[in-house]
Amino acid sequence: MIASIATLILGFVIGYLGQRSRLCFVSGYRDFMLTHDTTLLKGVGGAFIGALGGFVLFSLLGSGILGFPMVLQTSMLTRSALIITIVSALGVGIVGALSGGCPYRMHVLAAEGKKTYWVYLLGFYAGLVFYNVATVHFMDMIKTVLK
Amino acid sequence: MSLPQVKVSPLQAGLVLGFGSALVQAYFKVIPPVAYGVCMVCHPKDLFNWIADHLLHLNWGYSLASTNWPLLTVVGVVLGALVAAHQHGELHLRSARQPLFYFINGFLMINFGLILGACPIRIVLLSAYGNWLGIIGWVCVVIGVLVGTWALRWVAARTVERSELA
Repeated sequence: MIASIATLILGFVIGYLGQRSRLCFVSGYRDFMLTHDTTLLKGVGGAFIGALGGFVLFSLLGSGILGFPMVLQTSMLTRSALIITIVSALGVGIVGALSGGCPYRMHVLAAEGKKTYWVYLLGFYAGLVFYNVATVHFMDMIKTVLK
Repeated sequence: MSLPQVKVSPLQAGLVLGFGSALVQAYFKVIPPVAYGVCMVCHPKDLFNWIADHLLHLNWGYSLASTNWPLLTVVGVVLGALVAAHQHGELHLRSARQPLFYFINGFLMINFGLILGACPIRIVLLSAYGNWLGIIGWVCVVIGVLVGTWALRWVAARTVERSELA
């Protein structure tokens, strides 16, 4: 239950800050490509630095940061994992650019009352049902083929 | 009574998000998997599947971090953004445009995200953790955004060309 409450509080904080700052993990790259504006890109960099700092600090304090840093662990780099990661990450990037933001930004925009993003979230959660019913089995088949 | 106006830069918000995600992993048991403090495709899946499993016994999978209680990040994000928008007078109902396009985008985004096992936020967290698949995924997300942006520019340029010819 502690994890639920912690994520609810963290979610509230980042939702609030996200609405005030327009932080987005897709628009940062897009804005830099289109106008060389680094405002949102700094947010992505901030998340990386904040997370890295936190992981280093808490691993030094000996609390719950298992296997950090993982750079020496290369056993996960199998052919199937690499292909699936590359294709799906390209898909996330392309769809994110077409829709104009990451899922986090879309939830924030939906909370501002923009019905366009309510429709996006309708598709998002319909897609979740489809994933459970079909995609997950399809991916099991793909992993077997790629082995 | 007027409510205080809060100004936050994306850099500050990013730092809080990144550090907060490490904090919930270290002290609040949001693990396993690692670097799972914030994910806007995996946490909604955990919540949705946890409810489906407990109410309808559908046996849809969710992460070990959600075994007893689901992760509520997505609820928190919507509530936080709602409060911020209301506080700053930015909460307005606006009608939907291109609903089919956005529906399909949402549909595809969660499917690609769940296959990847990360959203654009978690891929940054995984990279900070030193996970090679995270680093490769992050590079590919950036390339995907560049390709998508280039496609949008190309479509926009063609539309302008056609309108000038007409």
